[in-house]
Formats: sequence, structure tokens, C-alpha cells
Amino acid sequence: MRTETRKDFHQKLDDLFEEVVRMGEMVTLTVNEARRCFVDLDRKSAKAIVQGDEVFDRTRDLVEERGLELLATQAPVAVDLRLVVALMRVAQHLERVADLCVDVAKATLNLPDRELPGWMKETIEEMGRRAADILRRSIFAFRKRSLEEAFRLDVLDDAVDRLNRGFFKEIDRGREEELDVAIRVIMVARFFERIADHAVDIGEETAFLLRGRK
Amino acid sequence: MPCEADEEEVRGVKVSREALLEVMEGESDLPPDDEMEGEKDLAQGNKMELSGLSLSYGGKKVLEDISMPIPARSITAVIGPSGCGKSSLLRCLNRMNELVDGARVEGKVYLDGEDVYAPGFDVVGLRRRVGMVFQKPNPFPKSVYENVAYGPRLYGVRQKKVLDRIVEESLRRAALWDEVKDKLGSSALALSGGQQQRLCIARVLAVQPEVILLDEPCSALDPISTQRIEDLLHELKEMYTIVIVTHNMQQAARVSDFTAFITIEEQGSPGRLVEFGETEEVFTNPRKKKTEDYITGRFG
Repeated sequence: MRTETRKDFHQKLDDLFEEVVRMGEMVTLTVNEARRCFVDLDRKSAKAIVQGDEVFDRTRDLVEERGLELLATQAPVAVDLRLVVALMRVAQHLERVADLCVDVAKATLNLPDRELPGWMKETIEEMGRRAADILRRSIFAFRKRSLEEAFRLDVLDDAVDRLNRGFFKEIDRGREEELDVAIRVIMVARFFERIADHAVDIGEETAFLLRGRK
Repeated sequence: MPCEADEEEVRGVKVSREALLEVMEGESDLPPDDEMEGEKDLAQGNKMELSGLSLSYGGKKVLEDISMPIPARSITAVIGPSGCGKSSLLRCLNRMNELVDGARVEGKVYLDGEDVYAPGFDVVGLRRRVGMVFQKPNPFPKSVYENVAYGPRLYGVRQKKVLDRIVEESLRRAALWDEVKDKLGSSALALSGGQQQRLCIARVLAVQPEVILLDEPCSALDPISTQRIEDLLHELKEMYTIVIVTHNMQQAARVSDFTAFITIEEQGSPGRLVEFGETEEVFTNPRKKKTEDYITGRFG
């Protein structure tokens, strides 16, 4: 009685899962790299991020294509069905995170050629680190299929939101930064805040995978 | 016997014929000018219900303690591995198992709140109210018309006009009328497999059942014929309560509103109900690990 059937299908599903986890790890590295570029004004690396984004687009397309193929040919049900759907959604979130990294990189390219004020640098540094950390944890929760880890993401995201709001307050308080710098820094803060939101969404996909609801 | 067919077909035909013949001896309970209205299960809820149902053949238990509802005007699918007792379960619903030597049923099967195994329950009436369609199409070797008119005629309908109306209406409901209206006098055996199966459904509909049991009705059909039967079931559930046994899990997922999963622990042990629930839930997020393992193929 106890023999696994549909092995080929399950192997394809496992392969797709590995592909998405790998994509998640690569995107997490890119988030860290984008933060570093912005803070260090490393335009060369920023350009590399912009150019490298195509890889994530292709991976997302691949995951979507293979997911649709599995839906059409294998008619998955129950946890298999939820996994195919979750993989396609997670790949989409990761692709958007990669796009936000491109936005951070482009902001780097457009910054005036001088160092950021210390407080801005520190806050962006902190937000970027936290966003990458939440993303890393979201991929970990997904890979380990851990509901507990997935639930922790929300709390971590609150901290990023607080930093983002605090940032606005600082600028509101009339710090005399140049406007073009202030605008770009506010945008980048927002990009990291969005990245953390996507990580929380990936956590929700883990919950969907494990219990059928987010 | 009206047809030469394999054992199962013969058994199926024999059963309905026996039942019908028994009725012939008594008064027909079919109003002569009856409109083909179909059963009105006005009270929504459960048309049938199984409570602690066990079945054994010659002392060997094949089903153990099955309790589940059969919601009215819905399609309930019964899935499970080979030998888990799905078909036996179906046959308990209209007491067809008792035609098998040594069959013993324990527990209750309610139809509209009445236990069909209660002493004195009208078995003939039960088999009219709870009709059955088998795995292989088993039309009588008669004309298309006679296949459908056979049941009502045995139940005492004599007027040609009434029979004509019943035949047409049954064939229309079985989505076969347009294909056979010009060859009602031709042999039913000349029809395609899919058409024959729809004819068998029309034959069941002709005696105005309330519940229709289908035992693997598409397993001998090609995909297009299968799709037509599935579409038909979807239409029929507006009027009838349907129970379908199928090996094809995707078919269960496609056509049914509720799914019951029955399995056995090991070869030879009796079938037990693992999970009953809304089909959407069972196929996307089953409550039981055993169901998940079975439907995802992680354990055969």
C-alpha cells in the first residue's frame, strides 16, 4: 500500500521549489548589494544591478511557465496544488523585489556626487539591512515550511515601517538637506519598506502552502 | 434475460427487471398522467444519510462503520483505492447488495429520514426511487424507444401518448434526444458507447427516481463522451440527488459538490470513511493527512 506514485511529477515539483528558493537567495543578496551601493555611492555596482535584473525576470518567467505546465498536465491537488500556486506567487514577489533593487540602484546613479548626511546614511543602512533580513527569513520559512517563522515576519516588518515613518518626520523637522538628495533618500526608504512588505507576503504564501489559507 | 452481456451487466439488468416485475404484480404507484416533473426535494438538506453502516460478504467485512450524509440535489463523489468498497457502498444505498449471497448489512441508511433497511420497507419502491447506472453501458437489445419505455411500461403506464412523452422527456434530460429523435426505432446497440450510457441514464430517469447512483459511469468512455456525461450530471443535479463512484479523482473534483474518501488500512481489511467534505475543500486543503497522501499520489 505504501508506495509513492507520480514520482516524476513530484520530482518536477521539487526542482521548481529549489529553483524558487535559489531565486530567493539570489534576490536577498541583491537587496544587500543595492543597499551597499546606495550608501557607498558605488555607481559601478549599481549599474551591474540594473543590468543583472534580467536574470530574475527570466527566472520568474520560467517558474510561471513550468507552474502552468504542471497545472495543465498534472492536475495537481491539495498540497501539490497549493505548492504550484505558491511557487508562482513567490517568484512574482521576488521579481518585484528585484525590480525594487533596480530602483534603488537607479537612485544611486542619480545621486549628487557627494556623501550622504550621516543620519540619512545610518537610517537607510538600517532599513536596507532589516529588509534583506526579513526577506532572508521569509525564504527560510518557505524552504523549511515553517509557519512559526512565517508568522514572525510581520513583527519584523513593523520595525521597518517605523523607521520609514521616522525618516519622514526627520525631514519634516526641517533638516536642511538638499531637496534632490532628500527626495531620492525618501524614495529609497520607501523601496526598502516595500521589499519588507513583499517578504511578509512570501510568509503568507508559506501559511497558504501549509494550511490552505493566508 | 433481455440482453446478453457480461456478469455485471446481467446483474444490473436482472436487478432492475426483477424489481419492475414485482411491481407489475401489484398496483402501479405511478400516476397515469404524471408529468415528468422529477423529484422535488423542496427541503434542502440531506436526501440520504448513512449511519454506522457496515457490510460483510460471507462473514468478511468489506465496509466498517460508515457515517456520512448525502446532500439533496448535489453530486456526492465517492473516491478511494481499488477494493476499498466504493461500489459496495453504492449498492447499499438501494439494497442491491442483498442480492449477493451472504451479504449482511449493519447500521442504517436513511432516505428522506426513513431507514431503508427497516422491516417492511418497500424495496421495489426504493429501487425505483434510487436508480443506478453501471460502469459499462448496458442497454437492452431493443430499440432506443423501448429501452426508455420499458420501465414506465412495467410500472403500468399503458397510454402511448404518455409513454411518448416520458421517452422524449427522459431522452431530452439525458441530453440524447437531438441525436436519436430520428432513430427511436433503431437498435440501442447501434449507438456509440457514450450515447448508450446516456440512454441508460435516460432509462433510469424514465421511472422518475429521486436519487441516481452511478458506478464508474465514464470508465468505458472516450474523453468527449465523458465530458458530455459530466455536463449532463451537472444539469441533472438541479432535480436529482446524485452519488458517483469514480476512480478518476479529477472527475470527482470536476463534477461533485461533496467528496467522500474511503480507504483500507491493508489488503483485506474493511473500507472506512476517512473524510467527507465539500469537494473544493477536499481537493485543495483536505483535513486528513491520509486524504492528502492519497489524492496527491504520495501513497498508492
